[in-house]
Amino acid sequence: MSEQNDYIIEFRNITKKFPGVIANNDISLGIRQGEIFALLGENGAGKSTLMSILFGMYEPDQGEIYLRGEKVKIKSPNQAAELSIGMVHQHFMLVENFTITENIVLGLEPEKKVFGFPVVDIKGTDQKIKDLSHKYGLDVNPTDLIEDINVSTRQRVEILKMLYREAEILIFDEPTAMLTPQEIEFLLNIIKNLQADGKTIILISHKLYEIKQVADRCAILRHGELIDILDVKTTSTQEMANLMVGKQLSLSLDKSESKPGDPVLEVENLTLDNELGVEIVHNVSFKIHAGEIFSLAGVSGNGQMEIADAIAGLINVKSGKISLNQKEITHATVKERIESGISYIPEDRQRFGLILEMPLAVNLALKSYYKEPFSQKHILQENVFLEYSDNLIKQFDIRSGQGSTTIVRSMSGGNQQKAIVAREIDLDSDLLIFVQPTRGLDIGAIQAVRKRMIDERDRGKAILLVSLELDEIMSCSDRIGVIYNGRIQTVAKADQITREEIGEAMMGVGNHGK
Amino acid sequence: MLNNIIIDGLSFALPLLIIAIGGIYSERSGITNLALEGLLGFGAFCGGLFMAFFSSHFAAANVPVYLSLLIASIGGTIYAALFATLCIVFKANQVISGVVINILSVALTGFLTRQINQNFFNQPSDKFQIGVFPRTSIPVLKDIPVLGGFFNNFYLFEVIILILLAITWYLLYKTRFGMHLRACGDNPQSVDAAGIDVNKVRFKAVLISGALSGIGGMCFAYSISANFSPTIYMGAGFLAIAALIFGNWRIMPTFVACLIFGFARSAGNEIGKAMQLSSSFFDLTMTLPYVLTLLLLIFFSDTNRAPRALGEIYDKGKR
Amino acid sequence: MENNLKTKNPLLRLLGGTKYQFISIPIFAIICSLIVSAIIILIVGQNPLMAYKGLLQGAGVLSKNQYAAYQGQITDFMETLDKMTPMLFASLAVAIAMQAGLFNIGVSGQMLISGFIATIVIGYSREMSPILAKPLVAVIGVIVGALAGGLIGFLKIKFNINEVVSSIMLNYIFQYVISFFINTKYVDPVTRQSRNIGANARLTLMQVEIADFKMRIPIFFIVAILIAIVMYFFMKRTDHGLEISAIGFNRDAARYAGINVKRRTLYVMLISGGLAGLAGVTYYLGYQPSILPKSLSSIGFDSIAVSLLGSNNPLGIIFSSFLITVIDRGATYMRSAAGVEQEIAALMSGIILLFSAMGTYMKQKFSDLLIRNRRR
Repeated sequence: MSEQNDYIIEFRNITKKFPGVIANNDISLGIRQGEIFALLGENGAGKSTLMSILFGMYEPDQGEIYLRGEKVKIKSPNQAAELSIGMVHQHFMLVENFTITENIVLGLEPEKKVFGFPVVDIKGTDQKIKDLSHKYGLDVNPTDLIEDINVSTRQRVEILKMLYREAEILIFDEPTAMLTPQEIEFLLNIIKNLQADGKTIILISHKLYEIKQVADRCAILRHGELIDILDVKTTSTQEMANLMVGKQLSLSLDKSESKPGDPVLEVENLTLDNELGVEIVHNVSFKIHAGEIFSLAGVSGNGQMEIADAIAGLINVKSGKISLNQKEITHATVKERIESGISYIPEDRQRFGLILEMPLAVNLALKSYYKEPFSQKHILQENVFLEYSDNLIKQFDIRSGQGSTTIVRSMSGGNQQKAIVAREIDLDSDLLIFVQPTRGLDIGAIQAVRKRMIDERDRGKAILLVSLELDEIMSCSDRIGVIYNGRIQTVAKADQITREEIGEAMMGVGNHGK
Repeated sequence: MLNNIIIDGLSFALPLLIIAIGGIYSERSGITNLALEGLLGFGAFCGGLFMAFFSSHFAAANVPVYLSLLIASIGGTIYAALFATLCIVFKANQVISGVVINILSVALTGFLTRQINQNFFNQPSDKFQIGVFPRTSIPVLKDIPVLGGFFNNFYLFEVIILILLAITWYLLYKTRFGMHLRACGDNPQSVDAAGIDVNKVRFKAVLISGALSGIGGMCFAYSISANFSPTIYMGAGFLAIAALIFGNWRIMPTFVACLIFGFARSAGNEIGKAMQLSSSFFDLTMTLPYVLTLLLLIFFSDTNRAPRALGEIYDKGKR
Repeated sequence: MENNLKTKNPLLRLLGGTKYQFISIPIFAIICSLIVSAIIILIVGQNPLMAYKGLLQGAGVLSKNQYAAYQGQITDFMETLDKMTPMLFASLAVAIAMQAGLFNIGVSGQMLISGFIATIVIGYSREMSPILAKPLVAVIGVIVGALAGGLIGFLKIKFNINEVVSSIMLNYIFQYVISFFINTKYVDPVTRQSRNIGANARLTLMQVEIADFKMRIPIFFIVAILIAIVMYFFMKRTDHGLEISAIGFNRDAARYAGINVKRRTLYVMLISGGLAGLAGVTYYLGYQPSILPKSLSSIGFDSIAVSLLGSNNPLGIIFSSFLITVIDRGATYMRSAAGVEQEIAALMSGIILLFSAMGTYMKQKFSDLLIRNRRR
């Protein structure tokens, strides 16, 4: 190991196996007191597993953890908290019908005595939470219910949770995935403030520029192995990217100028309610032409997902009009829309895109099973399903244990996504809606999906791309609409708007008209 | 007549309430509890068993009836442990487990009652004698016009239930345990991340629901007749579920729902008697709570919110 | 990949391999229950083997030592089939709803109301020709049951009311309202049940003389078996079956795929209710000639468990409903033959249910064991 022993945390030879995969293979690394240490790697590289071991959620099969020079066995998150380790998970862990204070104190509730009986003291703690949030610039209102606050505020609550527990080692798991560029700036500043306050920070990320911006050192993991530990200041992002994926990889996409044809999708004055009956999209209009990728950029929760769902027919239109190829489909059923030419790659592939308990062959035919030749007089033709599915598997390089008969649940996320993309593209629809199409995929798969999307554009399809990742929007779109608060703030050709302008529009700053 | 409506209404509403509170504990922790019927039956069986063997061993006549409530609650707790094991340890579907627990409860208590009567008392009976629960009145207060009924000729177990109401309310809304329990029913992952063992909290919640149901079952046994018999399975557990849904999974509104159910029942009964209708008329008033609950759901289904994680099996490994 | 690796333990392969689990796990559950029940019988001081033999004899699966005049193993067996008929219909009703992810706990109520309506509309018209009356009873049963089941489906899709809750409420509403009508209009003052229906309308032929035996003939037994087989192919091989299981696995994905989830939900509840209606008429106008007021048949609840034991597979349910009915029917004879209280039968069924409820867990555990075993 290292001769200088100023490590606050030291992993020694950590190995963790899951059925079929080695998540961490003999990893040894040390993290210094007060630094910002980044863990970089693709999905499935073992970053989260390593941190979950540190946070007591998994026990390693082999290896040891040293904390402040002493060997520790961390068996539960509770114990991790006692050792002053805190973690902000990728999916927030908040109780919706509790207040911010209640969430922050959960597990460590302060008590007072009322007539001799112990009672949880929430009111008395509100002020303490307020002070704590001021100290780090994390303004929240302690008495708000979680169900009433937005993503960025929820994240602040998660950070306050760690600070309340007086954590000295703070783990952030992909903290910027859901945030706007401005919110990301804000968060990175907070992270720096925390460092200045003496905290040690571990940042799990695959976003190179973030790491470049805040981290001191960075460990690169690939397929469960520790590849290298780098000094961020002296390493280029290209170098980091290469180490992360293991081969030279061009980060840009080859994309020719688009040649838009007739309008395929026309959305006029669309107004939508969310499931609670609150109006979330107001009077939105846009057109997408054949041979064009139009994207909606925006922070999560500003109505873009609802617009995609409304076009696909999953939610009702409150007012306005949607037309496909000059034919109105505002009130058509989902099936009618599929048949008239809409493909939809949904945001949540496991909840909407696939039936995980069913075999791959059925999932690939999920939108055509009732048509000839799959079904004749309502009787399913098994051999047709298998043939069709074998064909798509080959064409799209979908990997699975038992080919067409594999139960989809057992497939990896990337291959599940490929299956959806294969099915939707093979429908040969005029309009393709891609929502977060590369979420959770590794770089190789991301490039493949984006390339496929551009190929479809070149074949004359109209494409709506909804993404929370600005990189994706910038590298794929022909035209970009920025949505904020249920309104389209601005629409521009991709080469006529900058990242910063999009970022501002995403925050509703500088109203560009429309 | 008003007096009778209040007296009978309360003696029905309060045992129902304690069972419904049991249901609230379980469901607020995230465990769908259709097993209340089985829990209350098994609890009452244990109480009845105790009375059959020991009621004559006590010098003070009233001591065994109070002890029988305690035994019933212990019995309910033990049986609830089986339900909790099924849903939490074996991760079985909670609705199915509830149905199975009910069926098993009817079968088990029926079998044991017969077997015990045969072997120890030498009589082929499916009943246990449980005696009579004492009633009392509060002087002066009972003579208040209209409201006097609340203080007149009530079972002493009603007082116990009111005390339990206060305790369970405090426990659920004011203590750390209650906070953890309610969080488990909303977002178990967050509870786990806070270092609290979700399954342990849920297990305890189900045990509490068994204890309360057991007491409720025994009180019903006393208020129906001086016996424990299979008539204890008359659907009070399901009525309690109707009440807690009516009360939106909160204790005080559920209390109100139980009072409405109880008074509707006793009022229907009294009015029927006064109008000299046949006892069959009573069957129609019996439907009232169920019709009310259905109507409530039809008209207010938007505001009626079940705990978010209700029925969800919590698997630590799954993230 | 891993499936190609062999383990030496054939039992584990049977219990852990996903291929056989649909049959091996229920059998394992039954064996466990028989062992536990045997222990209980031993504790109460009787011989479990004698008790089990008595059960099988009572149900007509094994021959008794002696029979009364016109009685024989076949008469016992036919009575078992008569009791099994409503159980099979009811379990199919539960199973098809379960396939769509719906929990029809209201089978009892749907049985009761269809039995009641068929009783008052056809059961008491004694002049009607049996050729007309019997099919009419079945048709009314199907229609009324479907409407009652459909109501639950309607409340779910229209007002988003959980089917378990509405089923329970409706069970009680049906039970009390029907009790009111029976007690005020159709009661037999001696039995305190509804008056017996005429033989012309009864779906079980009574006292039919065949080769020296007087036996029951449940004419809808064959129908029930046929429906089970049809349902098996419907679920496995048709597009509607695929849609139903898609909804059962994942409602959101089914909607996304263009399936009209609401319409299918209603459709499944109509079928489920219709099957429950058949269970109702074969029970209240078949196995029995009358209705006991203010009570729900336990068949409606037992069927949930029977369906579970049969892995929600219609063919499996044929066997599981037979098993549970044999235990139920054989109990009386077992008492006289082996001296075990007949309540043990209900207890045995309960224990079988308890073990089948653990089925999913056992599947998981055995699969894990198998994988670990192979890895070694």
